[in-house]
Amino acid sequence: MSLKPTLLAGALALAGAFGAAPSYAQTEVKLWHMEQPPHRVARIQELIDAFNAANPDIKVVQEPQSWDQVYAKVPAAIAAGNPPDMLFAIPDFTTVVRKVDQLESVADFVKELDAEHGFVPAAVEPYSYDGGVWAVPLYNMALSLWYNKKMLDDAGVAPPKTWSEWKAAAQTLSKDGIVGVGLPANKQLYTDQTTYAVMVNNGASDLFNADGSIAFDNEKTVGAYDFYKDLYQYSSPDAANWTWGEAEACFSSETCAMILQFTVISTYDAQGGGDAANLGVAPVPHADDQADSSTIAYSNGVMFLSKDPAKREASKKFIRFLLQPDNYGKFLTMEPGLFLPVTKDGAAAGTFWSDPLVVKYKSQVEQMIKNADRGMLFGFTGGHVFPAIGAISAQNMLAETLQKVVINGSDAATAVKEGAAAMTEATK
Amino acid sequence: MTPKTLRPARRSAGLLPYLLIAPALGLLAATLVIPIVSAVDISLHDIRVIGAAGPFSGADNYLRVLADPTFWAALGTSAVWVVGNALVQTLLAVIAALVLDQRFPGVRIARVWIILTWIVPTVVIVIIWRWLLSPSGGLVNPLLIQLGLIDRPVGFFASGPMAMTSLILINSWRWFPFVAVMLLAALQRIPADVYEAAAVDGANPLQRFFAITWPLLKPTLLVLTVMGTLLSFNVFDVIWLLTAGGPAGATRTLPVLIYETAFKAYRMGDAAAMSVIASLLMIGLAVMLLETLAPKEKRS
Repeated sequence: MSLKPTLLAGALALAGAFGAAPSYAQTEVKLWHMEQPPHRVARIQELIDAFNAANPDIKVVQEPQSWDQVYAKVPAAIAAGNPPDMLFAIPDFTTVVRKVDQLESVADFVKELDAEHGFVPAAVEPYSYDGGVWAVPLYNMALSLWYNKKMLDDAGVAPPKTWSEWKAAAQTLSKDGIVGVGLPANKQLYTDQTTYAVMVNNGASDLFNADGSIAFDNEKTVGAYDFYKDLYQYSSPDAANWTWGEAEACFSSETCAMILQFTVISTYDAQGGGDAANLGVAPVPHADDQADSSTIAYSNGVMFLSKDPAKREASKKFIRFLLQPDNYGKFLTMEPGLFLPVTKDGAAAGTFWSDPLVVKYKSQVEQMIKNADRGMLFGFTGGHVFPAIGAISAQNMLAETLQKVVINGSDAATAVKEGAAAMTEATK
Repeated sequence: MTPKTLRPARRSAGLLPYLLIAPALGLLAATLVIPIVSAVDISLHDIRVIGAAGPFSGADNYLRVLADPTFWAALGTSAVWVVGNALVQTLLAVIAALVLDQRFPGVRIARVWIILTWIVPTVVIVIIWRWLLSPSGGLVNPLLIQLGLIDRPVGFFASGPMAMTSLILINSWRWFPFVAVMLLAALQRIPADVYEAAAVDGANPLQRFFAITWPLLKPTLLVLTVMGTLLSFNVFDVIWLLTAGGPAGATRTLPVLIYETAFKAYRMGDAAAMSVIASLLMIGLAVMLLETLAPKEKRS
């Protein structure tokens, strides 16, 4: 017997026994997202694992990022030639990426997905400009007013609908160490969001005029900043450093009676007692002379940054998988109530409505979806998008203006004028 | 041996040192010279986003930066930051070094324990202090209320002066042990017989400190002052993680402004110009400190 065939057979047997490398080439796709809380990362991983198992020729890997750093990190990664293949983003981020990278339009892909799932038009709109569609919408988020029903009942306060009711409620509730209303004043995205939520409720939704000039400096904006300052006196002493987490912690620990937040359901359920009947959610109150409430709403999407056709195709395959209603429901409930559907079949997904937390807090989730109907996003109103919104957003100019008013004590009109000048500078 | 036979050996010995330091020089060039040259190059171009190209703009970026009040405000904030840190760290370090130079039970443990704050990662320090100083759930506010010093929780990062003071104290708390250990080493080099002679001459402890300890500590303090100034000026992590330059820009030092300009405002050219100006300022400051603080006999 010759030794060579025996060795070959042995090698093959070993390879079989220990799982030899597959003979096909595997396409690795890197996903960056900013959903950092561990339970969200775990849910995304669950979906990635299911996708990878069903598609052995593709390997999707996730790398969670921080919102604070991603605006700096993505351009640097692109410059270094090592960008992610897929990047979850909000609309203004597309303008930043388009500056450094020839982002290719995904209009055809969005059309294909729209035919299959039916996108909510408002979710696609912020990504549609300059003759292309620059990201695939994935989920919606809208800011609401969250309140502790018992604390309001005990104080004899009804959930506020107008600014005067809101201020009166905050004043009444602020006693014995209770924070009447938790509002941030950090130079950070969360403060941009709460500030804009107040602005839109005074009719100051447009940052740009149709010609691209800045429309920020107007009476409505000044009125919104003045009102924010009025309310801020009832916020927490450390609110100048708050991000979303601190506000949620304040609410869940029953230190804050009211906060503006996208959702508090997970934190409230885990750390705030979890009494669904005690958790109130309402539209953000509007100025007394406005007819109805509006809010800030984000259509979050995914951009494809890779130039490699194989990676782009693999990325599309993953998104097709993600938007299948069963998978989509699981995806949205990585943070129950926070992520709202942007497709018609997704809105009816059994996996979304059967999630235990969604079942428990169904009325709250329904109210959030209702609030999102009147959502707007700064820089994406008025039917036109200007690239400067990327720099305005990255520099947190709405929040910076707010800090001048509530921390430095500047007159709102002066601060808004300075804010408008800074925005104009950013457009150059 | 004739001079002729020595010549090749000398030549090879002459090359050897250069060959030996070549890797280090190469590494230095790659990690220091190339970035500096690159920064100067970027500062002369109108580059917005990192990685993007931009036209040559000459001194435009420098002129714009020098005309920007935000730049001068950040420079002023940096000056407050550097001076504040220098004063607090030096004071704490001198006291700590003098205490640790004494003999008492547990002094060896104390000398090790003191450097713990210095070796703990910055992010851990930041998390600890954020929690300690938080008005909701932190330990410091209830303690101050119990002591009757305040009647309601205070936001330690809520106003400009409070935020800057808190930052200086936290950063000093972190770095004074490093200075203290250096000073302790210097103290222990002072011969005991000098103190004994002074004691024999009737010098009291205060006189011994100002006549012996302080003059002999000054060379070490000089080095530490120059090093500390440069290190403090460049601190970014603690400030960014605790206040991100806020509130309302009150703790926006020059490194924070450079970061914001480069990665938030997407003006890489301006940020590079600020970096070059800051480097020149630091070099100038270091030379000035050495010139003014160095012992006169050394200078002569």
